[in-house]
Amino acid sequence: MTSVPQIQVFSAEGKSDAELPLPDVFKSPIRSDIVQTVHAGMAKNKRQAYAVSVKAGHQTSAESWGTGRAVARIPRVSGGGTHRAGQAAFGNMCRSGRMFAPTKVWRRWHVKINLNQKRFATASAIAASASQPLVLSRGHRISTTPSIPLVVSSSSLPDLAKTRAAVALLKAVGAYSDVVKVTKSKKLRAGKGKLRGRRHRQRRGPLVIYDPATDGKALSKAFRNIPGVETCPVTALNLLQLAPGGHLGRFVIWSSDAFKALDTIYGTSTSPSSTKKDYSLPSAQVTNADIGRLINSSEIQSVVRAVKGSAKTKRAGGQKKNPLKNKQVLLRLNPYAKGYAAAKLGQAKYKEGKPVRADATFHDVLSTA
Amino acid sequence: MSYPASSDLLWELTRKNSSFLVKRKTGGGVKLSRDPLNLRNVHSRKHSGTVNNQAIGIVPSGKGGISLLTKKGTGATITQSYKPSKTSRKAYVQIVNSTTKKGYRADLREDAIARASALIKSYRKPVKATKESKPRGSKARANAASAASADL
Repeated sequence: MTSVPQIQVFSAEGKSDAELPLPDVFKSPIRSDIVQTVHAGMAKNKRQAYAVSVKAGHQTSAESWGTGRAVARIPRVSGGGTHRAGQAAFGNMCRSGRMFAPTKVWRRWHVKINLNQKRFATASAIAASASQPLVLSRGHRISTTPSIPLVVSSSSLPDLAKTRAAVALLKAVGAYSDVVKVTKSKKLRAGKGKLRGRRHRQRRGPLVIYDPATDGKALSKAFRNIPGVETCPVTALNLLQLAPGGHLGRFVIWSSDAFKALDTIYGTSTSPSSTKKDYSLPSAQVTNADIGRLINSSEIQSVVRAVKGSAKTKRAGGQKKNPLKNKQVLLRLNPYAKGYAAAKLGQAKYKEGKPVRADATFHDVLSTA
Repeated sequence: MSYPASSDLLWELTRKNSSFLVKRKTGGGVKLSRDPLNLRNVHSRKHSGTVNNQAIGIVPSGKGGISLLTKKGTGATITQSYKPSKTSRKAYVQIVNSTTKKGYRADLREDAIARASALIKSYRKPVKATKESKPRGSKARANAASAASADL
């Protein structure tokens, strides 16, 4: 049994004053696939129904003119005296016609999510929030944060009623740079959402998780006006906050009481949850996900065959050398080359001088043949 | 699953989506990284600074100096800054002495030195002054016209 990791607890002044054992929920498997599907379902569950009017595009008594009038057989508006008369109607290709496949209010807006899957996703998101690389990859600014997971002592939280104090707390524990990131990121939303109460868009900052039983609810009011900062009671954790957009690794600031409560809420690896009926934490498929350590373990190395060949493969047949340029290679191929060069036979001229031209009879015979 | 999560798992989780990842359709769909601990700015398992327990980063540190970033066991980044020196080799030696020679990511030695070298090179002033451009065609006519109007 490995020893339980101890997590530092920081006071409101940012000093490490105690340690807490890491709750077992942080050891649950991090499954981005489950988190993504559950998040997609949960995000759909607060949608409101919308549809075009059932009458839209059908409020006319158009009828087809049939064949023989040299126009398309689409229904046409009857009557005269107005430009509308004789215009095509109803079809999705028509001006003022109905849309193709008009949207209906009875679309399937909501998605049922299995409770165990939902809890798995939440446990997974909690585990991911304790991983510094994942929090960084989500884009949180945590370079000044002393440790991840970040636990703040609950002793000062019940009195935390003012936003000024909340900001001081965030600054003390090095979480304020994430708030600055949020403030800087505020942009006007593209599109119609601007008119529909979603005027701006901004990043998400830290999520403060507290225990409502001991920390009180005043702190949620203290934090609520700080851009990007959200608060959540530990008893009602929400995947939409723990993994916004389905992306794992939200920067979470735990109150020490909330941190302690995790073991009773989610249970431990040996005992089931005391608040959720018949629930025990998901267990991992593999105990060691470090592939390098697995490969280099003595158990694996003792059964694999020895490496064939050496680390560096030699060129088959040695390196190719050009015999025209490399003398030694030339001599290996042609031992005569040495004598040939020494006698300077390559430079020697014909001894007999110029060849003699053939006589006239030779040419005559050649031309007549 | 053990805590903390293994590098291999983290890479699988951040491979497709990460705040450092820059995807472009150009260049055959390049995947680059904005991670300061990534020496080649390439989004890959080897060069990822967030995922690996040990990683090296070389970043500029004001006034012609460079900083060497490495990772502590806790994941925090350690910064060592080098002042600009006349010989850039000193910087390379320092980088190698504090990483490769200590058995810290020896596989990244060449990349670290290449990055440091590129940074130092970028600080140098250009030897030749850039030539004044000789505009031709419509640009030359426009320049001449503006000069003429200025004379009036």
